[in-house]
Amino acid sequence: MRILMRIFAFVLLIISFPSLGFSYEIGNRVLSYTLKNGLKILMVERHLSPTVSFYIRHRVGAVDEIDGRTGTAHLLEHMLFKGTKTIGAKNYHEEEKFLKLIAETGKQLDLEKMQGKNANKSRVQSLSERMEVLQKKHKKWFVENEIDRLYVENGGDNVNASTGQDLTTYHVSLPSNKIELWARIEADRMTGPVFREFYSERNVVMEERKQRVESEPEGQLYEQFLATAFIAHPYRRPVLGWPSDMRFLSLEYTEVFFKKYHAPNNTVIAVVGDIDPANALMIIKKYFGAIPSRHLDPSPITEEPPQKGERRVDIVADANPQMIIGYHKPALPDFDDYVFDVIECILSKGRTSRFYRVLVEEKALAESVHAANGLPGAKYNNLFAIFAKPRHPHTSAEVESAIYDEIEKLKTKTVSERELQKVKNQIKADFIRSLNSNLGLANLLSYFEAVTGSYQYITDHIKVIERVKSEDIMRVANKYLAPDNRTVAKLVYKN
Amino acid sequence: MFLLPVYILYSAIAYAAEGAQVPLQKPDSLKYHPIHFAPPRAERVLLDNGIILYIFEDNEVPLLDISAVIRTGSNYDPTGKEGLAEIAGTVMRTGGTNSLTGDAVDEALDFFAGSLHVSMNRDSGLLNLSILKKDLDEGLNIFSQIITKPAFEENKLKLAKNLLIEELRRIADDPKKLAFREFKRVLYQNNPAGRFPSTLSVENIERDDLVEFHRTFFYPENIIISVTGDISKREAIAKIKQYLGSWVASGKNNVIPPIPVKQKGRIYFLSKNTPQSIIICANFAPSKKEPDAYPFEVLDFILGSGGFKSRIFQEIRNSRGLAYSTGSFYTKRSDYGVFGAYAITESDSTAKVLSLLRSIVEDARMKSIDKKELEWAIKSINNNFIFSFQSADQIAHQQLMVEYDKLPPDYLATYRDKIAKVQPEELKRAAMKYLSPDETVTFILGNESAYNQVSTRFGNVSRIEDQR
Repeated sequence: MRILMRIFAFVLLIISFPSLGFSYEIGNRVLSYTLKNGLKILMVERHLSPTVSFYIRHRVGAVDEIDGRTGTAHLLEHMLFKGTKTIGAKNYHEEEKFLKLIAETGKQLDLEKMQGKNANKSRVQSLSERMEVLQKKHKKWFVENEIDRLYVENGGDNVNASTGQDLTTYHVSLPSNKIELWARIEADRMTGPVFREFYSERNVVMEERKQRVESEPEGQLYEQFLATAFIAHPYRRPVLGWPSDMRFLSLEYTEVFFKKYHAPNNTVIAVVGDIDPANALMIIKKYFGAIPSRHLDPSPITEEPPQKGERRVDIVADANPQMIIGYHKPALPDFDDYVFDVIECILSKGRTSRFYRVLVEEKALAESVHAANGLPGAKYNNLFAIFAKPRHPHTSAEVESAIYDEIEKLKTKTVSERELQKVKNQIKADFIRSLNSNLGLANLLSYFEAVTGSYQYITDHIKVIERVKSEDIMRVANKYLAPDNRTVAKLVYKN
Repeated sequence: MFLLPVYILYSAIAYAAEGAQVPLQKPDSLKYHPIHFAPPRAERVLLDNGIILYIFEDNEVPLLDISAVIRTGSNYDPTGKEGLAEIAGTVMRTGGTNSLTGDAVDEALDFFAGSLHVSMNRDSGLLNLSILKKDLDEGLNIFSQIITKPAFEENKLKLAKNLLIEELRRIADDPKKLAFREFKRVLYQNNPAGRFPSTLSVENIERDDLVEFHRTFFYPENIIISVTGDISKREAIAKIKQYLGSWVASGKNNVIPPIPVKQKGRIYFLSKNTPQSIIICANFAPSKKEPDAYPFEVLDFILGSGGFKSRIFQEIRNSRGLAYSTGSFYTKRSDYGVFGAYAITESDSTAKVLSLLRSIVEDARMKSIDKKELEWAIKSINNNFIFSFQSADQIAHQQLMVEYDKLPPDYLATYRDKIAKVQPEELKRAAMKYLSPDETVTFILGNESAYNQVSTRFGNVSRIEDQR
C-alpha cells in the first residue's frame, strides 16, 4: 500500500513535467535518478516507435590498465558476452571445476610460452593438448552465446559493446515490452559474469588487431601518432593493446579489473524510448538496486607533461601517403574545448569549410582534410587532430604547409560574424539531428554523464558555443596551435 | 526548474526495494505484455505531373527529411564510361543550377545547416535533404533546382573526376574495400554490376555525358519523393507542388540492365602482401519477389547473419578463435539475390577457414535443420521487424521502396507471417537449390603463403589482378 502510493506520486510528478516540443529543450525531458548504490539512471520517454534503447556506460577504459596488461579492458568487454552463472550454465557447480582447471593450465602454458626461445617445447605441447581436452570437456557444461541469443531472439537490435580509452559501453535496443529482459541480463553480467572461452577469445581479439591495425596502414598511422604525441599519459597506448601484452593477457588480472571497475557507483544507464518511466525505474531498481556499491580506488593517472618541441614520426608502409597532425589541448568542459569545437567546424565542416575550399578545391593539393577535436578520449587533456590525404602527385609536405597557412590565418585574422554564425548553426542542427533516434539520444546522454558527471554538458553545449567570439578563436589558436606543441605522423611509401 | 522535481522523486521512490537481492528468474521464463505492431503507413499521393509522394508526419524534433529515389544507377553506365552515375550525382550536388552557382548552393546549405546528399547505387539514385523546419522553403528551392535544372559546372566536374581518381588510387590501402570490389567483379562477370570505374573510364567522362545522364533519368514519372518529419500532409503536398508540381521533362529510360547469371564454381585469388586473408564464398540466391526469399532469409540467419549464435560465427570465431569478422550476408534485390559466407582470418588459417565455411554451408544442404534452431531464427527475425520502422524517415522509405521494387502492396504487412510459416524442409530445399558448390564463386584476397595453402589443398585456383 505504501509502495503503491509512492509510485502514484512519482507518476504524477512525471506528468507534471512540461512536455516541450522543442528539442533544444530536451534537457527538460530527461529524468535523472540515482539509486542508493550510486547507479545513475537517465530516462527519456517518447513513443513514435514501440522500441526502447539502452546504454550502459562504465567509467573504465584502456587508460585504467597497467602497463604490460594493455588490452585488458577490451578483452573484458568481449568476455562479458560469455554468459553468467545463471545464463548459459547447465550446472555451474560442475562447470566451475573445469573453469578452474582451464585457468590453471592456461596460466602455466602462458608462463612457459613467455620464455620465448627458451620455452620447453614438449611442456608447451603437453599443456596445449591438456588445454584442448579440458576445453572440450568444459563445453558439455555450458551453452554458448546465451546473452546474444536471448537478445536476438527477443528482437534485439544493435546488440553490441565498445571499449574506449575512457569508457566501456554495452548497448542494445529492444521492443518496448522487454525492459525486464534487459535488466535481468545486464544486472547479472554486472555482478556474476563467467569468463568462459577466455583463451580462444584472446585469439579473436588478436585477429581483431590484425584486421584493424596490421592489415590497415591507416590503423598503424593512428597508433604510432598517439604513441608519439603522448609520452606519459595512458592515451599513448592503443585500446586494443600492444601485441606482446595481448598474447598473454591474464584471466586473473581480467577478473580483478572487472571487480574493481564494474561497480554501480561507477556506472551510468540511459533508457530512451517507449517507456513508462515509473515502471522502468521500478524494474531497474528490482534488478540493479541490490548490487553493492564498491569503494572506487582513485588510482592516479599519469599526467602528460607539457610538450616542449615538435615531434615527428614516419611509418613506412605499402600504401599511399597520408598524415595526422595533433596539438595538445585541455579536455572538456574547459571553455577552450568549446572553442576547439568551433575551430573544428571552421576548418573542416562542409564544402564551405576552409580546408575543403582551399586545400581540396582551390589549391587541389588534397583528397581530404579533416579536423577532429578531442582525441583519443575526452576525459583527460587530449588532442586537436588534423587528418589529411594528399592528392597525387602532391606530397604530404605540400599539404602540411598549406594546413599551417590555414592555422596561421586563425591566429592572425578575425573570423567574420557570418562564418561564426554559420558554424554555430551547424553545431546546433547536428545536435538536433542526433536527437532523432532513441539510440542516438541514449548514446549522447550516457556518454556525457559518464565523462563529465552531468548529461547537462550536452544539453547546454550550444548555449556555451553561442558565447564563443572571434577573439576566443584567435586566442586559442595562438595558445595551442603552436609548432612546439604539435606531433606530425606520416605514412611513407615503401619503395 | 529541473533540480527540484528530481530531488522529490528521489525521496518519494527510495523504498525498500534497493536492499535485498531478488531471486533470479530464468530469462526465458520472463513474461511480457504483447505488443500489437502493424507497420505505420505513410500517406501516398500522386501529383498531376506523375511524381509519387509519400508523407509521414512526426513532430518530435523540428526537422524535415526530404528524399527522392530515382530509377537510375551505375548499372546503366555506358561501357568505357564507368563512374558516370557516381560523377553525375556528385556534380548535380556541387555543380550549381541554372540560377545558383555551385558555390552559392554550398554557401546557402552550410549557412542554414542543411545537409543535402546525392548518392548513386547500382540500381537507384538517392537525394536526401535534411533541414530544420524553418528552412523548408530555402531547402526545397535548392533541392528542386538540383533535380530539375542542374548546371554541371566544368570546374566542379574536374574536381569530382580528380577526387574519384585519387580514391581509386587508394583502394588497395584498405584490403576490405579492395576485396569486396574485386569479388563483385568476378561474381558479376559480363554484367554491368561487375564493371567499376577506372582511371581511364573516369577520364573519359565529359560534361555532355552528365547532361545526357540527367536528361535520360530525371523526369517526374521516374522519381518517388518522401517528405517526413515536422510537417502536415497538407503542407507537404502544397510545398512539393509549389516547387516540383509544374516540372515537365521528356526523359525516358527504356533500358533494363540484365540480371547477372550463375557461373561455374571456382576459386579466384587476388594476391596482396597482408597478414590476413579475406575469404568470400558466394552463390546467387532468390530475389525479393520469389517465395523462396523467405526460407532463404531464415537459412542465411541460421548460417551466419543471426549474430553470435549463428553457425559460422559460433564455429569460426567462437569455438576456434580464427576470425574477428565472420558470418554471412544475403543481399536481396528486386530481381536477384546474392548469398555470401565470409571470414577474415590470419594468413596461416586460410585453407582451414575456407574448408570450414564450405562444410558449414554443405551441412545445410545435407542435414535437416533442427526445429529449435528454426524457431529461434523465426522469432528473432520477426521480433526485430519493428526496428525497420523507428523513424518517420524509415517508415516512409520502407513503403516507398516496396513501390520502387514493384513488390506487392502488402509486402510489409505479410512479411512476418511468411517468415513464421517457413518449414524445416524448405530450408534444406532452399540450400539444395541455391547453394550448390558447383556454382559457388570463391574469392580470396591474401598473401603468397595463403595462395600456396589454398592451391595445394583445393587445386585449380584462378589468379586475378587488381584492376584500376
